[in-house]
Amino acid sequence: MTRSTPLAVGLAVLGVVFIVIAALYAFGVLQILVSDPSSPHHYTHMILFIVLAVASFVAANFARPKTV
Amino acid sequence: MGLLQGATELFPVSSLGHAVLVPSLLHWSFKQSDPAFVPFLVLLHLGTAAALLILYRTQWVQIIRGFFTAALRGRITNDSERLAMLLMTGTIPAAILGVFLENRIKSLFASPYAAAGLLVANGGLMLGAEMLRRRAERRVQAASLSRIEQEERFTDAAHISFAAAALVGACQALAFLPGISRSGVTIGGGLLAGLRHQESARFSFLLATPVILGAALIEIPQLLNARVPVVEFAAAAVLAGVAAYLSARFLLRYFRSGRLDPYGWYCVAAGLVSLALLHFGL
Repeated sequence: MTRSTPLAVGLAVLGVVFIVIAALYAFGVLQILVSDPSSPHHYTHMILFIVLAVASFVAANFARPKTV
Repeated sequence: MGLLQGATELFPVSSLGHAVLVPSLLHWSFKQSDPAFVPFLVLLHLGTAAALLILYRTQWVQIIRGFFTAALRGRITNDSERLAMLLMTGTIPAAILGVFLENRIKSLFASPYAAAGLLVANGGLMLGAEMLRRRAERRVQAASLSRIEQEERFTDAAHISFAAAALVGACQALAFLPGISRSGVTIGGGLLAGLRHQESARFSFLLATPVILGAALIEIPQLLNARVPVVEFAAAAVLAGVAAYLSARFLLRYFRSGRLDPYGWYCVAAGLVSLALLHFGL
């Protein structure tokens, strides 16, 4: 994987964005592409975006330039 | 139904296609609109996922440990760590497509006719993958070798590219179409990525475990809220698990030298016969 600070920062920011989206789905603020818009919470979407956030943070750690 | 689901979930013949077709052809009074249907399916999937976890228990311990080690270190140093990252890469596209598209796709194609037609397409996909594999075998001059020697010319699951893992993972989304087999498309995709047949099956089963387990766990609240015959459903889940375990053991042994062709031809034949039976109302 390409190692660069800007890429690592970008991926970390993406992770934070995913966490925010997960929270919005959990509280029912976001209703985009949900199967049941009447439901107050969308936990499946929340879990998906938490997984995406974890993956982004892992990718950010891989992209971070290492000293050794 | 438990035995059918457990066996067909891992065999490359589409469990969803069979779940739609078999009750319809045999006139079973099994309604998918029944409130007990989803909890029933959840338990069957938990049984299948448990079987896969038991089968690969040692590898899953190494994969989970490898994931955390590599994630924290930011560097991959061994095959278990690489396999863990490949599985994560392959699971994400399937999870995204599953969460956003699964219900829409399933409702569009939830008819026995569509399932039968897609079963034929599933067979075509597997036969096509084997045709391309034979071409690759000719390229590496393995055509004149024995099957075991031919297979040795190809690689193992920990050594495919991340792009290939993502593509094979995304192929899992095709399995939302009743008639398209998750293991069929992922084993076929693995073959195109240069995996040995047995490794392709192993990668497919490892890739399927978090998806099947995750999909089942998400539905558990429905299971707890529903009034269902717990003992009967639990027995079906155990049967599904036993069938899945035996199927996986059989397939891993079969794919040491076997190919996808017999399953491809079975799907083509079963799809065509089902279409004829449905058309003539037999």
